[in-house]
Amino acid sequence: MMLKRLLPPLVVVVLLGALFAFGLLRGAPDRDIESALLGRPAPAFELPLYERYQPDFGTVLTSADLQGKALVVNFWASWCLPCYQEAPVLQAYWQEYQDADVVFVGIQTQDRDRLNEGRAFLSQFGLSFPNGIDNDSSISVDWGLYGVPETFFVDRDGRVIHKHAGPVTAELMDAKLRELLN
Amino acid sequence: MMELQLGPLGSAGVFLAFGLALYGAVAGMLGAQRRDARLQTSARLAAVAGFIVSTAAVAVMQAALLTDDFSVSYVATTSRIASPTWVKVVTLWAALEGSILLWAWLLSGYTALLAVTAPLSPLRPWAVSIMQVVQVFFFGVVAFLANPFEVLPVPPLDGPGPNELLQNHWMMAVHPVLMYLGFVGLTVPFAYAMAALITRRPGTEWMTQTRRWTLTGWGFLSAAIIAGGWWSYEVLGWGGYWAWDPVENVSLMPWLTATALIHSVQVQERRRMLKPWNLVLVITTFSLSILGTFLTRSGVVSSVHAFGSGPVGPAFLVFFLFVTLVSFGLLALRWDDVRDRADLDSVVSREGSFLGVNILFVALTFAVLLGTLFPLVVEAVSGDKVTIGAPFFDQVTLPLWMLVLALMGIGPLLPWRRAEQQRLTHNLAWLTGAFVVAGGLAWLLGVRKVYPALTVGLAGYNLMSLGLLLAGALVPRLRLAKRSAFAVLRSYAHESRRRFGSMIVHFGVVVIAVGVAFSAGYRVDQQIRIDFGESAEFDGYTLTAVDRFVERTPQRISSGAVIEVSRDGRPVRTMTPRLNVFGDSRAVPTPAVMYRPSHDLYLNLNSTVGPTTTFVVLRVVKSPLVTWIWIGGFILVIGTAYALGGSTRTVPARATVRAEERAQA
Repeated sequence: MMLKRLLPPLVVVVLLGALFAFGLLRGAPDRDIESALLGRPAPAFELPLYERYQPDFGTVLTSADLQGKALVVNFWASWCLPCYQEAPVLQAYWQEYQDADVVFVGIQTQDRDRLNEGRAFLSQFGLSFPNGIDNDSSISVDWGLYGVPETFFVDRDGRVIHKHAGPVTAELMDAKLRELLN
Repeated sequence: MMELQLGPLGSAGVFLAFGLALYGAVAGMLGAQRRDARLQTSARLAAVAGFIVSTAAVAVMQAALLTDDFSVSYVATTSRIASPTWVKVVTLWAALEGSILLWAWLLSGYTALLAVTAPLSPLRPWAVSIMQVVQVFFFGVVAFLANPFEVLPVPPLDGPGPNELLQNHWMMAVHPVLMYLGFVGLTVPFAYAMAALITRRPGTEWMTQTRRWTLTGWGFLSAAIIAGGWWSYEVLGWGGYWAWDPVENVSLMPWLTATALIHSVQVQERRRMLKPWNLVLVITTFSLSILGTFLTRSGVVSSVHAFGSGPVGPAFLVFFLFVTLVSFGLLALRWDDVRDRADLDSVVSREGSFLGVNILFVALTFAVLLGTLFPLVVEAVSGDKVTIGAPFFDQVTLPLWMLVLALMGIGPLLPWRRAEQQRLTHNLAWLTGAFVVAGGLAWLLGVRKVYPALTVGLAGYNLMSLGLLLAGALVPRLRLAKRSAFAVLRSYAHESRRRFGSMIVHFGVVVIAVGVAFSAGYRVDQQIRIDFGESAEFDGYTLTAVDRFVERTPQRISSGAVIEVSRDGRPVRTMTPRLNVFGDSRAVPTPAVMYRPSHDLYLNLNSTVGPTTTFVVLRVVKSPLVTWIWIGGFILVIGTAYALGGSTRTVPARATVRAEERAQA
């Protein structure tokens, strides 16, 4: 009788305990999450671009268009605070490197139909590298995204050499761009 | 010869406090069990002694911080010689070990106060003992797992200083203390509820004994949340105040359940209903405050506020599970004593509206908890990492907040038991009228977004409700007394402190709601680059980058831009957003904010400025009505304090309860 009554709280406590024990044993969330893509060819994508990029890059940017170029693929969302932090950094490096053999691609994801928010984000930071929306989040699935922001570095042979979770920093951009371009 | 060493002295205080709490808990429970008055008194004296020795420990830590004694580990890891005195004082709660010491100290203070002032009752010895059990945990953590008084054999010559975000604003001196005062205050009703379950006295006694404690804890927690929002607005540089970050969420959850509690205890006081419900709420509130500490101190959920991990996280987890299991287990065992016997007469009644508001607050708590834990659950089940962002929380909670506002207006107008149809229709007509007029006016004036317009409508509706409440109370008195309206209002406010205080609190909530709706709904946010000597336009303002500056003080290096703000050609203000560098830490942007009743102008530096830089990149944010959030918070705190002031309980309430008891018998 007593046991039966204690069962519901016991079950709740055991479940919560197991969940949090998992959380503790897993350790603090890592910034550089291992990606299954590392060293492999980057997945293909077709990205419908925002209006402001269409004169220069066309309405849809595909991975085929970019063959032979190194890529910095940045996933962001209009609701993601760290994305606001890193946007100026990305733009600064794009301005510095746009004449080199590298293309930056911004992909708005997990942000269904929030095109106006996306446009506001782009004009807020004046991002001049091509940005488009992954409206059904399918690109983010192909690329094995864990969260936003995440940034992938793809070399000229089309292989993913690095993935960074969280906002990018100047140090990281310096190091990885050098790695990509030599 | 021997020099006085602060480290061992502080440690001694902490260990002594731990021992006294352990002794008090055991002696108090034995004394309560055996009805031994001497043991009970001894436990109460232990509570007072515990407060004295832990006060000594805190004083020792302050002495170590102020004298830059880097042989004390906490001082060496968190303080710096160059910090100004106020920063050294608040460094006590700038890092984990110190803030747990502060928490434990406040807890021992409340316990001592309870031991001295609580009226004699069968609940008191148990309640004091349970407070001491909680103390055993906190002092245990301070003494054994995170001792800030460890002695460093080779003390460094200087330390790194506290977290740069924390020393950048005076608000940091206030926010954590308010938070802990809130959490600790809400420990008292938990202790009394446990005592009520242990002694099989689940009536209203535990609630009436702790009403002031609950309200005090709730008031501090509310103030802490508002102060935290203000701090993040003034410091973090993104021009917002709430980001649904886990650290924010875990402070909100106990507030939500505590808000439900302060409403539903009234139903139990008046109608002897919702007994088990109130117990669940009080237990949940306390558990959530421990859970929150665990979540934010262990790195289990990722957050922009990173705290160091260590053994403290697991300790809080074990304590959380222990508290949850024991308290809910006890509730399950006592279920037969606790169950309600009365039924709701009608949903359209005061108790019905309290029940509704409870359901809403519990739903809000659940939504916030789900959003906070969901990424962890997904990762545990499937190994995938997901992030839950503000859109989830906004979409789920906004409709619930609107319903809360709606119930807040109608609830206090409904009578207990059952509403009379005619009166109800009359009130509803006024409320709906106010809603339509206010909402329509907002619509005509250009507020075309749904939630801001709805909020204005509901604000009008709530002001009407407050007006009707006051009119209902004052008009008969005016007729009888033939005094001036002001005199009648004053005597009413004085006689019904709780009721009048609650009106002030509700008014504060309306003000906050309007501030939130407009600052979130109509915020303009832009990144602008200005060359020095040039100007840029921003939403009606002209910003001119006049000059740059670098200031050095021993504590920090501060560099920034001088921006002249003008409107229609007239100068409005000179603003100086800057970057502060404390010691070797990273630069902290320090926004310049121009507070206005209609909107704030917020400038944050997004580029570094040196003597030779030619341009500045600014993040410029204009948030309408955002100041009203802080004003509303202030009103809310005043209202809570007003309700707490004075000691008279409303006598008629008791009389009705007695009559009801007789009727039920």
